Amino acid sequence: MKPLRLIARRNLPSEGRRPPVPLPPELHWQANADVWHAVKLHFGRRRFLQGLGVVLAALAAPLGRIRRAGAAVPGGFFTHQEFITLQALCDQIIPPDHDPGASDLGAPEYIEGLLTAFDTGGVPRIFAGGPFSDRNPFPDYTNGTPSTRFPRNSLKNFLPLSRLEELEWRAQIFGSVAAGLPSFIDDQAGGSLIGLRDLYRTSLAKVDQVATSVANAPFAALPDDERTLVFQMLDSGAFKPDPRRGGMTFVDVLIEHTLEGCFALPEYGGNAGTRGWQMLGLEGDNQPLGFSVFSFAKGDYNERPDHPMTTPNPDEIGPDGSLRPLPLTAQGTAIEQTLVTLAQALGADCE
Amino acid sequence: MASRIQPIRIRRRVEDHVLGNRSLFHFDFCVIGSGAGGGTAAHVLTAAGKTVLVLEAGDNSFPGLDDPSPLPFPLHSNDEIKYTIRNYIGQSPTLEPRTFRKQGSEEATIHDNVNLLAKAVGGSFQHADCKTPRFNATDFRLKSTMEALIAANPGLSVPGFGADSASANFADWPFSYDDLEPFYAEAEELYGVQGAAGANIYESRRSGPYPMPPGVSAYAGLLISEGARKTMLAGEPLNPHPYPAAINSRFYDGRPPCVDCGLCSGWGCPNNSKNSPAVTTIRRALLTGRCQLRFNSAVTRLVNDGGHVQAVEYVDPAGDVRTLTADAFILAASPIESARLCYLSSTPSGGVLGNTSGQVGRNLMFHFQTNVDGFAPQRIHGQRSRAVSNGITDFRGVEPGGETIRIIRDGSNLNVYMGGICEMGSAGGTPITTDGSVYAFQIGQLGATGTRSGLALKNAMRDMPLGQHVFGLTMQAEDAPQLTNQVDLDPTVRDIFGVPVPRVTYRNHPYEQSARQFYIPLLKQIVMNAGATSVFVAPCDAKIAGPPTSAHIMGTLRMGDDPAVSVTNAQGRFHDVDNLYATDGSVFVTSAGYNPTLTIFAVALKIAHGIVGG
Repeated sequence: MKPLRLIARRNLPSEGRRPPVPLPPELHWQANADVWHAVKLHFGRRRFLQGLGVVLAALAAPLGRIRRAGAAVPGGFFTHQEFITLQALCDQIIPPDHDPGASDLGAPEYIEGLLTAFDTGGVPRIFAGGPFSDRNPFPDYTNGTPSTRFPRNSLKNFLPLSRLEELEWRAQIFGSVAAGLPSFIDDQAGGSLIGLRDLYRTSLAKVDQVATSVANAPFAALPDDERTLVFQMLDSGAFKPDPRRGGMTFVDVLIEHTLEGCFALPEYGGNAGTRGWQMLGLEGDNQPLGFSVFSFAKGDYNERPDHPMTTPNPDEIGPDGSLRPLPLTAQGTAIEQTLVTLAQALGADCE
Repeated sequence: MASRIQPIRIRRRVEDHVLGNRSLFHFDFCVIGSGAGGGTAAHVLTAAGKTVLVLEAGDNSFPGLDDPSPLPFPLHSNDEIKYTIRNYIGQSPTLEPRTFRKQGSEEATIHDNVNLLAKAVGGSFQHADCKTPRFNATDFRLKSTMEALIAANPGLSVPGFGADSASANFADWPFSYDDLEPFYAEAEELYGVQGAAGANIYESRRSGPYPMPPGVSAYAGLLISEGARKTMLAGEPLNPHPYPAAINSRFYDGRPPCVDCGLCSGWGCPNNSKNSPAVTTIRRALLTGRCQLRFNSAVTRLVNDGGHVQAVEYVDPAGDVRTLTADAFILAASPIESARLCYLSSTPSGGVLGNTSGQVGRNLMFHFQTNVDGFAPQRIHGQRSRAVSNGITDFRGVEPGGETIRIIRDGSNLNVYMGGICEMGSAGGTPITTDGSVYAFQIGQLGATGTRSGLALKNAMRDMPLGQHVFGLTMQAEDAPQLTNQVDLDPTVRDIFGVPVPRVTYRNHPYEQSARQFYIPLLKQIVMNAGATSVFVAPCDAKIAGPPTSAHIMGTLRMGDDPAVSVTNAQGRFHDVDNLYATDGSVFVTSAGYNPTLTIFAVALKIAHGIVGG
């Protein structure tokens, strides 16, 4: 059962995104790079704050973020400045509020972990191992309860790659030419694949170039509302859609990787303390305990009362036992309505 | 072909990619593919004393599979990155692409969706949620039963039959349900199937109960079952039932019951509770001492003289081309790859191996899925259950018992709608792909929701309107066999070994489209009756995805008694090649409206027992 085929990944045409302040045409990916200096400033007197911006942004940030930003860069790929820019971009995608934001969750570290997957000297960090983490106990089948015995974490032992897997992932990370892919493979796929390392390096430089051009400061140094405007500009033509990546731009790749860094297994370097899953109300990896525990004594299964399988979540049951669904936010409701409208527009026919 | 194979610089030690008895050098049989068809055949042949070489193109996630001490847990895990995003045990659409087109007049293009099956020791079943319904008695004689029905009911017309029969290529199977029933029973025992005999009134005669009772139902399955009981077809309420599955609901064959970890359809099982071929038949074959399994070994050609295969040529894990001989060969690489191998294996006269009938690669079938979903106001928490635990069979189009076809009367009009079994389910446990990516890339870009980034995206993620609130049904409807739906070789695109890739040509027939349109209003009623606040029909694969995404692939080496119109005979042997068999879904004559794997197991058992005379 895959109920969401309606929105198979990246299969819908994108409508143009219209930021309140348009990207200056000189900064469009198709424009000549030499005209950067001629860009007009769009941010009025805010730009005078630029010198103070770095300091203010740092003071406003939660302690954890400063420490991480100031620490030696863990993966050894990004420069200090690149890493700070990346953190600010990730927080633009999943910002902190009463729940952690993307950089609190370690999304930048996740991204750097992917870009340096082959720098380990041993097994590349592409596929985490199996079968279990050490976060859930074994079931006790005698009475159908959780036992006190935990497995050791084998997810952190990454899996050796087969020859084809290594070729595939070297091409993803270093680019198809550097990985030594035969040229006919690139030709039939529509051109060579730009590696993620190159994509991040050049794109992060362009992010700060755009921010400096329009607001006179690097992206991370801008106040929140200016970051939002610059991010929208970056997302409206600053980066070339890559046909080898399904037409994704750098911003698309960054959003995807940020989501991965927030909500993937922590063994990949993000989702710190599994707080990403917690904010969604998900249990995350749950083997070997699972949600139904077979009991030999009973000859049947026990459910876990706090994580029921066959009944509503406890927080959606009223005192009288009736269903009391928790309300969705405006965004959740809008998504439901959009999907229904979209499905109607696409129709149930097959031609 | 060998001279065109490209060297790749990355090297691997070949000896690390062998399971089983490494000292074997003469093989009675070489089996190509270690999945449902290959694993089953290897088990029966080795149990009968034959020596068997299994060649598998994919990698192994089951260390210790050939060790007689208790089976260790595998390398599978609850990991959205590894499977859904980074395509672990998948086939790379860049290095091993396939091409697709809707009809012969079009130029085919590389398309990921014809690449959905896993490539791994044990095959794709480990990556499925192992649903195993049987086909009906009617399915094995659909052509003759339908033609008789049309003859007896003037005014009844069915697309693809009667006056319209030339538009499709329906045929009866060369054996009956009763012939296959003992092998269904053996397959359910061998592969450990859970289910409740009698719960599905449409099931055809069973000789015995299911080996295990059903496991725990999913919340979504219970809600939709309730909705189905309130929905009427021809004046009768629908009949929900537990969905048969080759997943342990009890300790079975030395492996533990399923704990309902939720990451099921699209994942390997960390707990070895899925009874996939690796941990069942392949393991049994390896432990006989008469089986050698070489993995990361992709077969590129069968060396033949036109009527007899002498050897198999494959690329070993280090990238070198090797040749091995055996007395007989069994194709079980799944219908697209099995047919491709016939095309890659030129005969001395330059023809396609086994293609005297001109039917190799033709009659390619997928299931035609119709997916109807709704939004529940409460969280459905699909991350805590198997992907599908319940279903209905009312829309298959047969009468109870599955012996006759159901005629639906609309006033004076008579109609037949052969849909399929319906799976009840929900999303869950995949926040990045089901929720985040959709909100940011699909819906966020439509501009209505503003969920491209920022707090709007974060709020959407916490709500999870898709991952926690969508539930619905998927109908696995039969699609009509057609000569023009086929696999051959793409004229230009090659894989990383330099070998031409399969080209898939596929288009739906009115047979399945009319069933879809008839059952959609009923599917919507079920979802609304289950408590949904709104309901929608997911657009047809042909409209938004191109190729069907069912991952149920059948046909291409059709079996039959007449060598003029079929590739293989009732014993699974090629009519025109005396030591070549097929035991995967490629031999299927029709696709029925049921998940195919149990029938692949049963047919492979029948063929393999026939080979060893048991």
